[in-house]
Amino acid sequence: MSKKALEGIRVLDLTVWFQGPVSAQYLADFGADVIKVERPQGGDQARGVRSIKSLEIGDWNQYFLVINRNKKSIAIDLKKPEGQEIMYRLVEKSDVFLSNMAPALLEAWGLSYDKLKEINPKLIYATNTGYGRFGGVSKPSFDMTVQALTGIMARLGEPGQPPIYLGMGSGDAFGGIMSAFGIMLALYQRNRSGEGQCLDASLYGAQLYLAAPLLQSFLAGNKGTALQQSRKQVENPLWNLYPGSDKWVYICEPNSDERFALLCKALAADELAGDKRFGSAELRTEHNEALIAALDAVTSRSSHGDLMASLDAAGIVASPVNNLADVIKDEQAWQNNYFMKAYCEEVKREVDVRGLPVALSKTPGQINTLGPQLGQDTEILMMDLLQYEWDEIEAFKAKGAIP
Amino acid sequence: MSTALDDIVVLDLTRTFSAALSAAFLADFGAGVIRLDLLPAEGGRGGARSAEGWNYEADLVHRNKQSLALNPGTEQGRKLLVELLAKVDVVLTDWQIDELQDLGLDYAAVEKQRPDVVYGRVSGFGPVGPDSDKPPIDELAAARTGMMPIVQQPGEPPVYTGAGAMHSTVLLAFGIMTALVHRQLTGEGQCVDTSLFAANMYGASLDLQAFLAIGHGDRLLNPISRKDVSNPMSGSLYPSSDGRWVTLTMPDTDRWWPDLAEAVGIDADDERFNTHDKRCEDNRLALIEALEAGFVRQPGAHWRGIFQAKQMSADVIEQFDYPAKDPQVLANRYIMELDHPSFGAVKSLGFPLFMSETPARLERLAPCIGQHSGVILQELLGYSQDAIYQLTSDGVIAQ
Repeated sequence: MSKKALEGIRVLDLTVWFQGPVSAQYLADFGADVIKVERPQGGDQARGVRSIKSLEIGDWNQYFLVINRNKKSIAIDLKKPEGQEIMYRLVEKSDVFLSNMAPALLEAWGLSYDKLKEINPKLIYATNTGYGRFGGVSKPSFDMTVQALTGIMARLGEPGQPPIYLGMGSGDAFGGIMSAFGIMLALYQRNRSGEGQCLDASLYGAQLYLAAPLLQSFLAGNKGTALQQSRKQVENPLWNLYPGSDKWVYICEPNSDERFALLCKALAADELAGDKRFGSAELRTEHNEALIAALDAVTSRSSHGDLMASLDAAGIVASPVNNLADVIKDEQAWQNNYFMKAYCEEVKREVDVRGLPVALSKTPGQINTLGPQLGQDTEILMMDLLQYEWDEIEAFKAKGAIP
Repeated sequence: MSTALDDIVVLDLTRTFSAALSAAFLADFGAGVIRLDLLPAEGGRGGARSAEGWNYEADLVHRNKQSLALNPGTEQGRKLLVELLAKVDVVLTDWQIDELQDLGLDYAAVEKQRPDVVYGRVSGFGPVGPDSDKPPIDELAAARTGMMPIVQQPGEPPVYTGAGAMHSTVLLAFGIMTALVHRQLTGEGQCVDTSLFAANMYGASLDLQAFLAIGHGDRLLNPISRKDVSNPMSGSLYPSSDGRWVTLTMPDTDRWWPDLAEAVGIDADDERFNTHDKRCEDNRLALIEALEAGFVRQPGAHWRGIFQAKQMSADVIEQFDYPAKDPQVLANRYIMELDHPSFGAVKSLGFPLFMSETPARLERLAPCIGQHSGVILQELLGYSQDAIYQLTSDGVIAQ
């Protein structure tokens, strides 16, 4: 078994749904000891994702099990003082506390940063709030309702079409890696200084950063970046989506005479190569609508396979616009461990999972187990890590602090 | 206040927006990032400019960096690169392997000289496999990832969002930090690889993971009309009377139904909609129609007021002018107002992460090409002023 980058780092993962769990997943993949802390009744709400009908689920709960892989689970009722007592002992033994619960709720459970740093001054205390720690907004936040505010949805799609969501979980996933990065920064700093700190990676802050190239342009006065723009009017027609008779292709070429001539040749479109309207980069931009329409007419006569064969042969940079059925067979993804196989207890077979999007050559990351059963490690953690005696554990059970 | 990374020197060999921003992200938290600007530098500092001429792109993706302008075609330039490598902790690049090899800056060469270096690279499609040499163009990676044909309405062209490139920015920064933490404890360097392809896959993770698990399904392969959304109360879009769109994320419909029904003027006890299964299965399409009819009666501002008052997980879809003015955004420094030496008061993207003890800070805007060549040679590499003058006049460096 290879070395682990985060061997010896213990993370308390008091998170639900997606952003927080995926953040801790990154740490667990690189070998941190991640203990998911869940309420005894039902645990993380994401365990119940099957019943909400918003997301396709197969015969195993991939939503929950993949982002909570490599983790342990302890079930504690944090509303009870005895539950908080267990939590405090966990905090003593941990390096990182991560939560995407509302700050007011954490406060009510005695889990504010001020409280926990008294117990462990070296603790990294990380939150994933909805809208940031300052400014006073605290309404419930989900990926899409926050994405709505950033402006990134409103500018996508053809003019007049509804706004476009970047994809289920897109903002949460980004907030998750942002949070993981922040935790690593804080760990690095703590290893130097011996002191912990608190950090926040909010969903709003992350999604604004997600819009960086466009939002920065807007802030500099380019008001048009806020608006939907048609693919029929892009400035450089050589960098655009074109329809095949079945799938689309994405052609990515600079607007140069040489590349235009090559493209026309690859598409056997001699009439475009000789058309005076398209005779220079400026003219191609000036007559962009006409050129795009003309190219549409040419490309839509061929299948994407034939188009790609011609484009590849000519050395034109392009890709087919694949669908998910193509992607899951993509050899490039499997060879780079972007997809991996893992054993799933729930269905007693190997299943295909999202793998490791970032590889470290000497400490590469691993998938050892999929998400834990609710509270599966409660007793062993109480005994081995927290060193409670069995009669104390019985007392906690009697009080309902643990199941 | 101290910074988290002020003991780290990063060599920035980047060309794309997303990779350059990754290096800037480390610089925001105090790393000494040396951007290598190769000579001859034709056309000056790249990056998109505003009508007034502000290179707003460079002032984001190269902020807090230093610039070393160096001609690698000279023998002395190559010698300087070797001396520079002796002083860096991290190399961060999006260059192609052959370009790196030409300058002796590929991982194999760097590792030989400095086994403790953390070497982070973002490629187009990953370090191995048939497409490992394809260029790092995010559109190509996004097109391969399966989401482009399904995020829009049926019948509309595919949509490129750009989210994958931004995901790679943070994935690379995370990978480098993880390797640096490992190095702190062991002294060991290593290579960190991510790609635009991987980043696009993680940006699209839920649909992609669902298809991996299920292996089929028209609703994961084709766009879903907003009038056919799986849960009328979650992931849905409805137009309001002033054309602004409203979106709801209420996956647990039982919890929210009474408030939502009242807000849009539907009887909460309406027998068609009084259970989760009726709302999401039996009478799903009827509920979509009913919500559509309800939301279109009032303008966006009305709905925002109600969502706020009832603390509902719903909002109005805004354009970029909204965050640009949102006091919440400024309070958290997600967007900053700054005093630009040439362009006066401007707004620029700020910092997505809050850290209590080692916060991100803006120390300087993008450097001019070669702005720090002299100081880097003097302070980091120990050259005398005379030697620096000679190297400058020989065209080995520019400052």
